[in-house]
Amino acid sequence: MRVKPLDLIIILAAAAAVAFSAVVAYGRGSGALQVDISGADGEWIYPLSADREIRVAGPLGDTVVEIRGKSVRIADSPCPNKTCVAAGAISEPDQWIACLPNRVFVRIVGTGKEEKVDAGVY
Amino acid sequence: MPESIEPRTIATRRGYADLTALLGAFCFFLSAVEYMVPKPLPFMRLGIANLPILLAVDLLPLPWFLALALVKVLGMSLVSGSLFSYIAVFSLTGTMTAALVMLGARAAFGTWVSAVGISVLGAVASNAVQVLIAGVFVFGDAARLIAPPFMAMGLVTGLLLGLFAQAFAAKSKWYAVARGELGKERRNRG
Repeated sequence: MRVKPLDLIIILAAAAAVAFSAVVAYGRGSGALQVDISGADGEWIYPLSADREIRVAGPLGDTVVEIRGKSVRIADSPCPNKTCVAAGAISEPDQWIACLPNRVFVRIVGTGKEEKVDAGVY
Repeated sequence: MPESIEPRTIATRRGYADLTALLGAFCFFLSAVEYMVPKPLPFMRLGIANLPILLAVDLLPLPWFLALALVKVLGMSLVSGSLFSYIAVFSLTGTMTAALVMLGARAAFGTWVSAVGISVLGAVASNAVQVLIAGVFVFGDAARLIAPPFMAMGLVTGLLLGLFAQAFAAKSKWYAVARGELGKERRNRG
């Protein structure tokens, strides 16, 4: 069994593609942490700091998203495998939970750092 | 039997059909195994059901190879119960992309590339296309967040699957027979 030089080039190129996709995906965003929920009917943004429960309608039924204690999770879902429920809670920027069968995508946007003004005008 | 069809052609065609059926059965079995493995994150798959397709790169001609890829999609969809849902479209595009990229890599690079490189190319291409489809049809711009872990998973699983396929191809007598190498060896010894 032998790995050939071209195999190594392919592996390195694939790793570079992964790194590039990470830079594109995570290289932007600012401000307070917010929960961005995409569903079949639209997109909603809630502050991560306020506890609440949101029902998001999808083709299979309602997905229940719960924001509690500065973290968010999918508490219940009508999808067959419940992988999204098993994913647990997320609380860091750019973390996400997706439910492909019910077309629900939950992600945390923002950096969590307070934005300061460069200068004040009086 | 019509005289215009040579017996050898019929035997070869039957051999390809038998081999496709056998590898397709492996796809069904490995799909069931894959379904039993818990997934730590949505979208994450080990991709072990692609092993027969990876082995078939050097065994089957294009039409039979594509037929095997379709059988694999059917197996995955039947086992997971998603045959008549739009999720089967993800499976179909992902598998067909991987199959065509793997076959294309073998045709373009020949013996310069091993099963490891072919497997990594197929896995990463398949996952990238599925992220693209998720972005266009389901999640929109948010799909970009899925891309890094999903493609990294493809890289790792593709690498491991390629190493396993290479080890299997080096040691398996069945595979050697299927490739006709055993027959060549016998002829050379004779």
